[in-house]
Amino acid sequence: MFLKRNVAQEVTRVKRKVRKQWRLDRMAVVPAIALCGLWIAACGGSSSSKSSAAAASSSSSSSTAPASSTASSNTLKIGIMSDCAGAFGAFYNADIGGAQAYFIAHNGAKANGPAPSDGISGGTIAGHPIKIVGYGCANDTAATALKEVRRLVEQDGAQVVIGPLSGDEGIAVANYSKTQPGLTFINGTSGAQDTTLKVQSPNFFRFNGDGAQWNGGVGDVAYRQLGWRHAVVIMDDYAFGWTSAAGFIADFCAAGGTVTRLYPPLGTTDYSSYIAQIPQKFDGLFSAVGGTGTLAFLKQYVQARGPFKSNTLAGNIFLGDPAILAAVHNSDVGALVGQPTTEDTTSANAAAYISALKQAYPASTNSLPKPGTLASLANSVFTVNYYDAAWALDKALTAVHGDLSGGQAALHKALATTSLPDAPYGAITLDKNRQAIVTNYIAKVTTVNGKPGVHTIYAVPNVSQAFGGTFTASTPSPGRGQPVCQKRSLPWQGKEQSVSFH
Amino acid sequence: MRVVARQGPRVLLGALGLAVIVWLFIKATQGGQTFLTETLNGLTLAALYFVVAAGFTLIFGLMRVVNMAQGSLFLFGGYVAFVAQQHWFAGGTSQFQLGGSTTTSVAGWVVPLMFATVVIGLVGLGIQQLFLRWNQGQDLRQALITIAISVIFADQMVAHYGGVVQSIQAPTSWPNTVTIGSFHYPFFRLVVVGGSAVVIGFLLYLLIKRTRFGMIIRAGVDDRPMLSALGINVQLVFAGAFFLGAMLAGLAGVLGGTMISVGPGLDTQFLLNALIVVIIGGMGSIPGAAIGAVLLGLVQSYSSIYLHFGSTDLSPYGVLAQFILVIAVLAIRPLGLFGRPA
Amino acid sequence: MSSVASVTAGERSRPGRMSIAGWVGLAALAIVLLLAPLIFTHYWLSQILTEALWLGIAASSLTFLHRYGGMTSLGQVAIYGVAGFAMANVVHTVNSEGGLNLGWTPWLGVIFGIAVALLVAFLFGAIASRSYGIYFLMITLALALLVYFFFGQVTQLSGFGGIRSVSHPGFMKDPITDPTPLYYICLGCSVGVYLLMRYVVRTPFGIALQGIRDDPPRMRSLGYNVPLHRTLAFTLGAFVAAIAGILSVWFNTQISPGSIDINQTIAVLIIAVIGGLSRLEGAWIGALAFALIDYYSRQDTPTLGLWLNPGRFNTIIGLVFLLIVLLSPDGLIGIGHRLGRGLAKVRGEHATGVGAARSGADTVTEQAEVPAGGSSSGSEVQEA
Repeated sequence: MFLKRNVAQEVTRVKRKVRKQWRLDRMAVVPAIALCGLWIAACGGSSSSKSSAAAASSSSSSSTAPASSTASSNTLKIGIMSDCAGAFGAFYNADIGGAQAYFIAHNGAKANGPAPSDGISGGTIAGHPIKIVGYGCANDTAATALKEVRRLVEQDGAQVVIGPLSGDEGIAVANYSKTQPGLTFINGTSGAQDTTLKVQSPNFFRFNGDGAQWNGGVGDVAYRQLGWRHAVVIMDDYAFGWTSAAGFIADFCAAGGTVTRLYPPLGTTDYSSYIAQIPQKFDGLFSAVGGTGTLAFLKQYVQARGPFKSNTLAGNIFLGDPAILAAVHNSDVGALVGQPTTEDTTSANAAAYISALKQAYPASTNSLPKPGTLASLANSVFTVNYYDAAWALDKALTAVHGDLSGGQAALHKALATTSLPDAPYGAITLDKNRQAIVTNYIAKVTTVNGKPGVHTIYAVPNVSQAFGGTFTASTPSPGRGQPVCQKRSLPWQGKEQSVSFH
Repeated sequence: MRVVARQGPRVLLGALGLAVIVWLFIKATQGGQTFLTETLNGLTLAALYFVVAAGFTLIFGLMRVVNMAQGSLFLFGGYVAFVAQQHWFAGGTSQFQLGGSTTTSVAGWVVPLMFATVVIGLVGLGIQQLFLRWNQGQDLRQALITIAISVIFADQMVAHYGGVVQSIQAPTSWPNTVTIGSFHYPFFRLVVVGGSAVVIGFLLYLLIKRTRFGMIIRAGVDDRPMLSALGINVQLVFAGAFFLGAMLAGLAGVLGGTMISVGPGLDTQFLLNALIVVIIGGMGSIPGAAIGAVLLGLVQSYSSIYLHFGSTDLSPYGVLAQFILVIAVLAIRPLGLFGRPA
Repeated sequence: MSSVASVTAGERSRPGRMSIAGWVGLAALAIVLLLAPLIFTHYWLSQILTEALWLGIAASSLTFLHRYGGMTSLGQVAIYGVAGFAMANVVHTVNSEGGLNLGWTPWLGVIFGIAVALLVAFLFGAIASRSYGIYFLMITLALALLVYFFFGQVTQLSGFGGIRSVSHPGFMKDPITDPTPLYYICLGCSVGVYLLMRYVVRTPFGIALQGIRDDPPRMRSLGYNVPLHRTLAFTLGAFVAAIAGILSVWFNTQISPGSIDINQTIAVLIIAVIGGLSRLEGAWIGALAFALIDYYSRQDTPTLGLWLNPGRFNTIIGLVFLLIVLLSPDGLIGIGHRLGRGLAKVRGEHATGVGAARSGADTVTEQAEVPAGGSSSGSEVQEA
């Protein structure tokens, strides 16, 4: 009895002591962990503080001549921004490959490996050795894009940034570019209208059309050639859907047509109730539903209403995906598709571009959206827009003999007047907002030996962002009810050129 | 005062319910065909939700495991069937490949269906054996584990299958539409999905009510310690139930992949739908899941088209209708319509 | 259960001797944080530290509700989204690109945003207050997803792809070129909400809340209105989350539905769990770890086919989360404690025959610190 009580007391005493003992250590644990984390942060911060300090000093001074930015070396530091996660994450290497292929083919760079993200070495532009300081790894959101572009600029010291990929990212990067007036930002693929039309950053240049321009001419052809007078337009209820539809609506209404609009929420997978709202009789349907919804929409339409009558369907670039057409069992042969590039072109410029891709990345790699060579993705906007951006940089910097002084002022001036008359898919010039004026294409869905294909039938030259005055800096952005349906004259009305590559 | 406080919500909700029914009646008389289409849309969606939610509620009812990975299993089932169809029958669509056959045989759909269902069942079983078997009773921890698994799954699926939406092909020999007079409705949705849900519901009923396994499950839901005290191999029963629950998710994924599509974001969508169905139907109750699914499907379907009051279009606020449904049910029955306390 | 509570209370009120190590650590931390703008580069100050601070605030509301209220809520991100959107809609947005753009002053916008968030949280809390444990988690998750889909579809309120260039109080200058003012604001708010939550748990309200966490029927029988209490606690948590929401809008200069999607909801949960659910400080530690992993994973991840590459941040953080839940349910703080205990074992206790007693003591202290959360049934307390 006595022994047991003593043991119990002893246990209690020891418990208290141990508890007190390590509770005091517990006091120190939290600050200790926090300090560890901050130390890691400090290490990471200070190791690149030199480069970021240089970048900070060069970016903060705009008017004085910051010899420091290039005094340390003659290297031109380029950052390439793309998406490595999210909906377009698969195109990471397509983007990087497009830009780097140009440098390899024309500036003497060499690929470090079969995958574009392995990097390049060597190469010079106008006497400056090229250094790719980093790849921005965003995920289709503006917040991450901003983070990544800041990393490229402030941590890695990029002087020129090529990118980003998606629409919202472009607007964020264009806004950011205004805070870095001494650097150059050339767009990748992002196709939101506002990026150039509204933000109008003096050092942000876009050498590709926006989402509305990608449908330039389709509405006109639908009115004149197919005889549509009233069209039903179905679009995803968000920025890209509105912009894409706006391109068709502006065109179609300018010719004299009227439209009914439907906007299923983005991410809808069940279009049945929207299909039910489409009138039984209509002249034509334009699909501006994005890639995620086109397949579901078409399938469900065909299931509910039967196949489309001939010449009653048109759509944006996503409609031209042969796999989607196969999925709806050829029931929309004859549909018109608006797109900024062509798969079947035979032009010499496109051939030169494709051979440059083949030369730079000849090997088949698994790092692309589907295993294969980069050249197989030649006509993808993700590849060619980055290639064109690199081309524009090379052309402009060469024109000013590599002058990066004065906050890259000479380079900005040259870029604003750079044109690419031999661009793979039609000549590119810039308007006063540094936005490209491009050639757009209209293709028709055909069937060859039972297999669906897309044949280009029209080239629409000089498609500009303004759509003949429909879109200006003060008009409301494309939205549910915008643009308003109005007849007006457009530069390319009736001027579509028939083309045939077959 | 207290009577008013307690009866108040019920009266309010009763009035709301009545208003909704009257509104629907008006709309039905205005456009009979549209109403019928929308009702069938809602019911076929409900069929899909029921299959997913039945698995979810079965796993919870028996094992008290909230399987947050149910949505991921759903999506993975769709992808597995898609890839199987593509590789073995070359009839599936590929995002980039031009060509390939555009007809699909019946086997070309059924075989991937069965394959995907079994594979997902095994995946679910694997998850349960590896991660959930040894920490039974720790609800929160198990929920966190399944959440972690769903995060990893979702990212890996995007990495391996890409971010673009794909579709599973239904057999070409099956008709596209069902026609009754002048009324058309997609065949697959109505007959296959609707029919599957009915058949599965019936089979589950037979399983739970008429087999020994079902009896064990019912006993386990009521009193788990007693079950093992009776000498039944509880671990085997749990494994079997998780396998069944995961299989249901996979099966639903194939049906959904054919009826709608497969793509990122669908896992979150269907997890949310399953959660709502189970919240309003009651955890652990399969009849509750059925009723909850019908309610959710109809609400979603009607709210996407019937929220036009004169000239004001409230369709964008359709999400609020689901919200109100959840609130309404929880206000009268905090544990769901058929729910029982833990 | 009551013994657990009393042990914990006893520990806290025991006027023990504070170790030098503890005070030194705290002082060093304070100095580093206050002088951060001089130590770290602008990029690190803003992208890592400031982000860790406001994410930590959001996660701390989750930790608070879990630890002291027994309510594991996945609705914190939705609440802070409501606050952010409400503020962004009423203040002036520079490019007039989205939202209602009513042009109010930023401070009024802040008050309005927090007020709307509190209102919505009260409603959510009222709906969910009669549910416990895992059921509560599910309901808050469903409500959070509904909020996300709501903002996704009602584009008048969520803007054209989000509301951009949201204006902020003038003294903050431009957060992109000069992140220091925003950093100090986030630091001040973090300290403020931390002290607030520590204070609340000692008030009668807070003690009653912990009682409700441990034994709701008993509290009800003592006359407390349990659902109301839980709703009010949830609203308090929402206040903290709303502050995080406001800071997040100032940090990002914009807000869009994508800012509050399921990834973000789960990210805040992951942060709270990685840091450690038993201590409020865990939220900030988890947020710092999260920000560091985010930064390094985008550049230093090796590429293993499709399984691993710089874009697979979600996989990496999911794996870290899974490992922590499997091995150390109390997160990094739990790991720290184990190290601390190892230190105590090495340092103290030369008395003989104390091995058995110590293992007994370990179990007691483990029970003391493990959050008694999860479910209301008594057997669940054995979680360890």
